[in-house]
Amino acid sequence: MKGMEQLVGLVLLAGELLLTCGAEVYRVEETMERMGQAAGFVQVEGFATPTGLFISLHAPNGRVYTRVRRIRQSYNNLATIAEVNALSRAFSAKRISVDEVRRELQRLQEQGAPESLRRQLIGGGGAMAFTIMYGGTWFDALLAGVTGAIVLMVTSFLHRQSVPKFLQAALGAAVAAGLVLGISQLLTTHPNLITLGAVMVLAPGVAMTTAIRDLLSGELLSGLSRSAEALAVSVAIASGVALVLSLGGR
Amino acid sequence: MVTQILAGFVGALTFSYIYRVPASQRMYAGAVGSLGWTISLSARQGGGELLGVFLAAIAVAVCSEVLARRRQQPVLVFLIPGVIPLVPGGKAYLTMLSFLQQDYVDAVGLLVSTILMAGAVAAGIIITSSTFRVYSRTKYLRR
Repeated sequence: MKGMEQLVGLVLLAGELLLTCGAEVYRVEETMERMGQAAGFVQVEGFATPTGLFISLHAPNGRVYTRVRRIRQSYNNLATIAEVNALSRAFSAKRISVDEVRRELQRLQEQGAPESLRRQLIGGGGAMAFTIMYGGTWFDALLAGVTGAIVLMVTSFLHRQSVPKFLQAALGAAVAAGLVLGISQLLTTHPNLITLGAVMVLAPGVAMTTAIRDLLSGELLSGLSRSAEALAVSVAIASGVALVLSLGGR
Repeated sequence: MVTQILAGFVGALTFSYIYRVPASQRMYAGAVGSLGWTISLSARQGGGELLGVFLAAIAVAVCSEVLARRRQQPVLVFLIPGVIPLVPGGKAYLTMLSFLQQDYVDAVGLLVSTILMAGAVAAGIIITSSTFRVYSRTKYLRR
């Protein structure tokens, strides 16, 4: 009996990790079903939404284990999605043991979303690329890169303080607009192109793409709620910039 | 043009760090993004912006689906950084500026254009991924 309880926890942990990192709902349900069947349950029913998941596992002896897990935080970590996906496939092909899967899943859970100065500086390079793509000069791009890196540092600090996602986006965008406003007082540049590049690092790319993929696989609930999330983040970015620009008198 | 192709590559590559794409897949994600941006720029000169991003989104989604199967990764790993250059961020920014300057006629026009561009990207991904899904499902049933 104890063993079954542990297997239920394992399946639930895999689903939780995937949802927290922003995987598509069909992948979460499919992974839980695949792992549950590999663990020896005769029937597995999973139901996932972006904010929580439910699962029923039918054991061969007729007992049914039902669990609910509420998902309260989320972050972008595609590497964890890829690893959980590979783990669940290896587990259902019986290439790795239950203990190994548990150890790996716990490691991924403790690791969370690793933050580093390197990620923030390279992310600033994304702002540079966008400024070039929208027709800015190399000098504009350089300023956008620095601003973008600072924006990423600010949002990762806010994330650690568990500030809500929308406020993170608004404050990050306000910081970007404020910095660019300051820079453009001193130097002749294209402030709009620089701000645009810098706030692109806040774009809700994961929410947008998973929303589309959820909708097309018929997951209307999470498709619509993720579209709403992407829209709300975009509006938050726009209001952060708009607030600073109107205070700055432009 | 070479600068733009490179900018598309760097854009997708650096965004793959922001979204924490597995280290071994980042170069591929960058290449997908570069391809999408190049297509959308070239098609823009011929048939307009909307057609450009629609075709680019199809190309990005096809590459992501193929790469995902070849390299045994979730599609999202290539798709998310790949579509980032196609996101109408510039249009959205101009929309915001026009609203701020109380230039509502321009603002609504830009807003509609932003929504249409985002819709074209979504449509490109939906059409491609559904086609791939039909294919992989029949393959699964045959086994």
